[in-house]
Amino acid sequence: MDNIIRELRFSLRDPVVALTLLVGVLLSAFTVFSGLKEVDTERAQIERVKQMVDDDRTYALADQSDAGGAAYYAFHFTYAPPSDLAFAARGVRDDLPWKHRIRMLALEGQIYETDAGNPELSRIGKFDFAFFAAFLLPLLMILLLHDLKAAEVRNNRWAFLSATGGDGGRLLLSRAVLRAILLFACIITPFLAGVIVSTASLMSAVVVCAVIGLNLAFWLVLSLFTTSRIQSGPTAAALLLGAWFTLTVALPVGGKLMVEQSVPVPMGGEILLTQREAVNDAWDLPREATLKPFYERHPEWANAEPVSEGFDWYWYYAFQQVGDQTVESMSEALRDGVAERDKAMAMIALTSPPLLVDRVMSQLAMTDIAAFQSYDQCVRDFHAALRAFHYPMLFGGKEYSAEAMKELPTFRPCASNS
Amino acid sequence: MTEIALKADSLSVSRGRVPVLSDITFDVSVGEVFALLGGNGAGKSTTLLTFLGFLPPRSGSVTVLNKPVTQNVEFVRQKSAYLPEAANLYPHLNARENIKYFLSLAKVPRSASDIEAALDEVSLATEARGRRLSSYSKGMRQKVAISLAILRQAPVLFLDEPTSGLDPVAIDEFNQLITKLSAAGTTVLMVTHDVYGACQIAGRVGLLKAGSLVGVFEAPEGGQISPEEVHRAFAEGA
Repeated sequence: MDNIIRELRFSLRDPVVALTLLVGVLLSAFTVFSGLKEVDTERAQIERVKQMVDDDRTYALADQSDAGGAAYYAFHFTYAPPSDLAFAARGVRDDLPWKHRIRMLALEGQIYETDAGNPELSRIGKFDFAFFAAFLLPLLMILLLHDLKAAEVRNNRWAFLSATGGDGGRLLLSRAVLRAILLFACIITPFLAGVIVSTASLMSAVVVCAVIGLNLAFWLVLSLFTTSRIQSGPTAAALLLGAWFTLTVALPVGGKLMVEQSVPVPMGGEILLTQREAVNDAWDLPREATLKPFYERHPEWANAEPVSEGFDWYWYYAFQQVGDQTVESMSEALRDGVAERDKAMAMIALTSPPLLVDRVMSQLAMTDIAAFQSYDQCVRDFHAALRAFHYPMLFGGKEYSAEAMKELPTFRPCASNS
Repeated sequence: MTEIALKADSLSVSRGRVPVLSDITFDVSVGEVFALLGGNGAGKSTTLLTFLGFLPPRSGSVTVLNKPVTQNVEFVRQKSAYLPEAANLYPHLNARENIKYFLSLAKVPRSASDIEAALDEVSLATEARGRRLSSYSKGMRQKVAISLAILRQAPVLFLDEPTSGLDPVAIDEFNQLITKLSAAGTTVLMVTHDVYGACQIAGRVGLLKAGSLVGVFEAPEGGQISPEEVHRAFAEGA
């Protein structure tokens, strides 16, 4: 215990160590604070937009006299609320949409009409706790450890230290471990404060602490291995920075490029365009060309309505659905491709501890690709429920009434997104 | 019969592939001051580092307090205090903190008054003791290291150019201190370039040349070794 206290005092008096720890705690606190603020903003945004869309729908439905108009003018707000741990890991939440304004028209176009905002900004990504803990933390570790032995040798202290302490190697090992523990404490303390404020689950917090601890342990071992063989501090730092660059930049970026090359997926914009063209073209096509594929999918409504010459809502909604059917395979290919790419990136992450940490944290925070796809499915299910509600009035002759509209489905976030 | 504290027996040491010491033999009795003189690269510091267990003998052996160093490194370091040339203690700590830190490493508890007494003994100005070592001169830093060696109260002292950086008054005080410690039973093995200083305090002086011990001079009863004689031998290569 005396040894720990001695080394603790010693390390905290060292200006380089003290400054590095201060930078660590400040960056950690900043990322946690900005993450909590971002989550608060999103929650407030959800409440505000949800209220606005609900009011708008109520107002629009009050004027409607038929099922087609009611389905056309009734907008619904769909969203994936941020999880309690989303403050720590933004994941793909800044790149991919987590909220939509949906109505009974063709769905695919609405899904890919993303509201992610400035794409350049989203490409840079947010400076979140996961990014800091996974990718930047190793730099602080390298700063603390690269010169640990070299400084003693350079200052003609190594033999003196070893002769006085008995075993210089053991002393430096304990010093390195203590510095790693101090850094860990500096990073984790603001995070745990964030966990308390956000009421995130204790289990998730424990797992986050464990993966960050493992990340630190990896860099501790790598630094000790390198500095035990390299006598020069700058050379050891250069080697460790090379390892950092390889593991945090070259491998993830190279891996991503390789995965994108080997698993081609259709673009969302391409799907949007194809679906809109299919819907727009339908105006100029004979109705049978639209209704045939529609009735093949919905034989229960076949021959329910006579084919007339003028505008009919059922025809309008049939070609909306046929628009979706036209891009069904593309949409499926996109979803499967994204999932396959994600699976491939998970394999690549096994070779890069920082990437692995980032992925695990995004998974726990439900801000990863799987959570995004789950939300996407949630929106599709809701839209399917809307069609199931409206189609009997549009195709089956069920009478439209304000009373019937009280049963209109309302969106509830799926369990996997909340 | 005189008790032997340090012994090098047919010792040969290499650094990498380069042979540095070749078949040297000497011993140092308990309470004796033995100085090793030699030019740059003669193997003086290598001899000390071998006694401290940092370098393994290629052949031959070294013993400290009758224990072979190779198998008893921790014991040797526990029983000895080492004072390197230009000891750069930690610049972010002050003199007292440095001493406390190293004493704690050596597991030698000493009171604050003991520390002040040791610093008094090396004449380190009281007002400087609370200042960080980054503001110290080389000589002041050396004084802190010397006071640490005093506080260790180890039976064996290994000194590597201990007066390097000290002013003449401090050198004189240091020599008196070593004489006092030796009289109290501390064994001292010192390596130095300083012929006159070595002759003043050492009971015997060994002359190292290109890794070989080429001569040993012994002080006459109640007197000192003649520095002129040693200097001549040094210049002639013994």
